[in-house]
Amino acid sequence: MSILATEHLSKWYGQVSGLNDVTVSIPAGITGLLGPNGAGKSTFMKLITGQLRPSKGQVRLLGEPIWGNPALYQRVGFCPEQDAFYERMTGREWVTALTGLHGLDEKTAADAAAEAIAAVELTEAADRKIGSYSKGMRQRIKLAQAIAHQPELLILDEPLSGMDPLMRRRTVKQIKEWARGGTSVLVSSHILHEIESMTGNIVLINNGRIVAEGDVHHIRDLIDEHPHTVSIRTPQAQAIARELLAEEGIVSVRFEPGGLVVETARPDAFYARVTDLAASGRFGPIHEVTSPDDNLQAVFRYLVKA
Amino acid sequence: MSARRPLPTPPTFATGAVRVFSLSLGEMLWSRRTVFLLLVTGAPVFLALVARIVQGTGVVPLRVNGAAVDGGSIFGMMIWLFFLRFIVPVLGVFYGTSLIADEIEDRTITYLFTRPIRRGAVLVGKYLAYVVCTTLVVLPSVVLVYFLVVPIGQVAQTFTAFAADLGLLALGLAAYGALFALVGAALKRPLVSGLVFVFGWEQIALVVPGYLKRFTIAHYVQGLVPHAMPSEGIAAVLQSVLRENPPALVCILALAAIVGVSLFLGVRAVESREYVLDQ
Repeated sequence: MSILATEHLSKWYGQVSGLNDVTVSIPAGITGLLGPNGAGKSTFMKLITGQLRPSKGQVRLLGEPIWGNPALYQRVGFCPEQDAFYERMTGREWVTALTGLHGLDEKTAADAAAEAIAAVELTEAADRKIGSYSKGMRQRIKLAQAIAHQPELLILDEPLSGMDPLMRRRTVKQIKEWARGGTSVLVSSHILHEIESMTGNIVLINNGRIVAEGDVHHIRDLIDEHPHTVSIRTPQAQAIARELLAEEGIVSVRFEPGGLVVETARPDAFYARVTDLAASGRFGPIHEVTSPDDNLQAVFRYLVKA
Repeated sequence: MSARRPLPTPPTFATGAVRVFSLSLGEMLWSRRTVFLLLVTGAPVFLALVARIVQGTGVVPLRVNGAAVDGGSIFGMMIWLFFLRFIVPVLGVFYGTSLIADEIEDRTITYLFTRPIRRGAVLVGKYLAYVVCTTLVVLPSVVLVYFLVVPIGQVAQTFTAFAADLGLLALGLAAYGALFALVGAALKRPLVSGLVFVFGWEQIALVVPGYLKRFTIAHYVQGLVPHAMPSEGIAAVLQSVLRENPPALVCILALAAIVGVSLFLGVRAVESREYVLDQ
């Protein structure tokens, strides 16, 4: 049974098309929604979470229409992309209050929030104000509010954005555990490597249309043909560059304020190496590892031409 | 995630509104807007303090046709001029129009609109938080003004009117807030529309003879002011132009109707409208 089905789904903002005649059926398990910025990914996420009304076509989530059907959110958890919070609240207060909106009594909501906060490894910081959280902690508390009410379907919009390599690895592991526990997950990203670490089942979206769906392997092969750019934010950029230059597949390294940008032809090995470096702590902290859209754009250009 | 809990029943409209109220009240009380609210409500307290100090020197601060105006009348004029004609409508505009707009601007609306509660309950919950928040700040300011301006000896004879003042201010805050909650839910630039209503439409409609004043909130709020105003001089002329008192019961029913209809339409607007967040 599909957890999400759209039929001829379109969305226009005035004269501008955000999504164009999308028909897709997403099965239970983990599915990755992959597309560069401006591809229609964000519009698709807003339509399937009932934030926008389709201009044409329909969306069925867990067998029911989502627009104007708030009861369905009892079964759905959503982690939005935007970095927005009630900054004056503590993480615990925020997750408890949002969980309470699902009809749980005060104590059950507090217990559910504590459990979700523990799952994202934020228990120690739970009673600090969200305003004092790092980017990675903010991402994790967003995940906590999405899972606290134990949804059947979890929709995650760029959930790994801003996390350090170690936390990325743990979060990917956690998402897989949730899926093993019976929760279906739809996760969006503009980084193929991230999606690939969670699932082989992907939906590729570009220019408001579904370009491809299904197994990721043939897409994966393409990635090696296009050098993959990775930006690393660290105070020890030179030491890390020296270490990475010894790796196979490094095409170029350049320094930028606060870090370095590396081009690699072997992203899998590269990400694993960066994570190991972060875990060893030999070169100080690695605050953030990000991958600009250019990687995916190159693959999409290839796909569209093909 | 541990073993699944049985799915709770989704909250009713009322329960959802109460939960949103609890979530929003603290946020509202500690917001930057409340600092503005404290400054606005602090101004009459400051003036009352100055009046009290001047009175202490033996100089009579206010005379009408050479006759001294007593503390009760000064308090009545302050309620009318500062609170009813300025503070209450301004707070209604700034808070009411922002109930949904702030959540959109801060991009936090997503967390509320992806819960198993009706969007209308979000609006009503936030509206209730507004009423409590503004009442908690405005009424203590009025109490301070009262005890600064009215001599202790006059408290007994003016206390009933004072209690009525507190009630009508709360009613005014509720009515203006509900109207502007509707404006905020339905229009894209609600603040401008709200300011035009308060400082344009209401000012004009109140002085134009005829029935136009019935389409203002100020007409019904002022109809409930219990104070006898000075009978001669500029204040009396102003009063005669600006005040035409409908019966109190009509005023209360009209204000209740404004609250009810505005919230009903606001709920409908918020449930049918799409809110597109900036990326």
